Amino acid sequence: MPIVMTIDPRSGVPIYLQLIEQIKRSVALGVLTAGEQLPTVKQLAVDLTINPNTVARAYRDLEKDGLIETASGRGSFVRADGATQNAQTAGSDVARDTLESAVREGKALGLDRAAVRKLFAAALDRWLPEEV
Amino acid sequence: MSSISIQQLTKTYGPFAAVSDLTLDIPDGCVFGLLGPNGAGKTTTFKCMLGMARSTSGTTLFNGAPLVPASFESIAYVPERSVLYDWMTIAEHVQMTRHAFKAFDVARCKELLALFSLNEKQRVRSLSKGMKTAVAVAIAFARRAQTLILDEPTTGLDPINQREVLNLIINEATRGTTIVFSSHQIGQVERAAERIAILARGRLILEGAVDDLKADRKIVDGILPADDTPLAAFSTDPRVARADRNGRIVRLVVIADADGVATALSAAGAQGVRILDLNLEDIFINAVAPASSTADVVEV
Repeated sequence: MPIVMTIDPRSGVPIYLQLIEQIKRSVALGVLTAGEQLPTVKQLAVDLTINPNTVARAYRDLEKDGLIETASGRGSFVRADGATQNAQTAGSDVARDTLESAVREGKALGLDRAAVRKLFAAALDRWLPEEV
Repeated sequence: MSSISIQQLTKTYGPFAAVSDLTLDIPDGCVFGLLGPNGAGKTTTFKCMLGMARSTSGTTLFNGAPLVPASFESIAYVPERSVLYDWMTIAEHVQMTRHAFKAFDVARCKELLALFSLNEKQRVRSLSKGMKTAVAVAIAFARRAQTLILDEPTTGLDPINQREVLNLIINEATRGTTIVFSSHQIGQVERAAERIAILARGRLILEGAVDDLKADRKIVDGILPADDTPLAAFSTDPRVARADRNGRIVRLVVIADADGVATALSAAGAQGVRILDLNLEDIFINAVAPASSTADVVEV
């Protein structure tokens, strides 16, 4: 299995959410491609030393989100249909959470909309400049 | 199938209640962590569940039925204190156990003893406390039981063997075994357990899925406009378990809807409102410690 997961069980972020985030990230980055098999629940639980029901919960949610499918007895796979779309959705899910927490932090520190927008524009210019 | 239902369990010793009105449901195939300060009633709970101490009132059902002697074929128990005989060797204990239980897996037991670097020829007398724990764990896991009750299964073990026990618990869990264990090593519980209960002074004070507790319970803090900004609304808010303040700094322990509480705190004029995640150790301390003891946290 090509996915490398880093779970921090001591973090306050629920483990199943950490798993979901990392699998979405792997799909978005093309580390996991359409039709590719995920580790079994058992394998991932043993590899990461975490509870198997927690892994199963993450897989169930990913299935609900349409990112993976589980064939009984054969394991879980990245969904073959619309893999590009899945990747984009997965990518924007991860990015949205990060952006939202950045905006919340700006607000908490007393910045107004204009100030946050300015920071956002600067970040866009630096990391995602318009192609000339 | 192996579900456990503890119903209104009470155990008193004279005027002292070691366990009070404890009700817990442990689903089939669940790894359930029992946490609590020393003297919280964890060991008494295990003993009452297994009929090794007589409950003052209440019952425990395994798969919906009370324990009968035959139930012990499918339940393996590692007690907090070693019940091994000093004058016997490890191999003799293995022999004794294999004769008592049909499903006992001798080959697996040898593997497990080797995993903990134990020599079967050694007498219990010559073993350290941690080695005795390891022997008890190896024998219990070789029982191939459907239910494992483990009272502090890592006591005295070095960090490497502690991790081995954790791996064994997770391995058993992938086979669908129901496991109830107590531990002061919160990091282990955080990894292995799907659900936890926290006991204090014999009472259940918190129960739930570890991931749900982490998702729901947060710290919301912020800076109030003045030393005397009223906070009464928060101390009666059902979403807020606790409100601590130190001058202008306020710190709320939130048990649900942290986003909503953060918005309300901002609306009350607070600045720099943050939502902070809590790990299991934080959740444990916040649940068990008296309100004043975390006052130091707000002194930034």
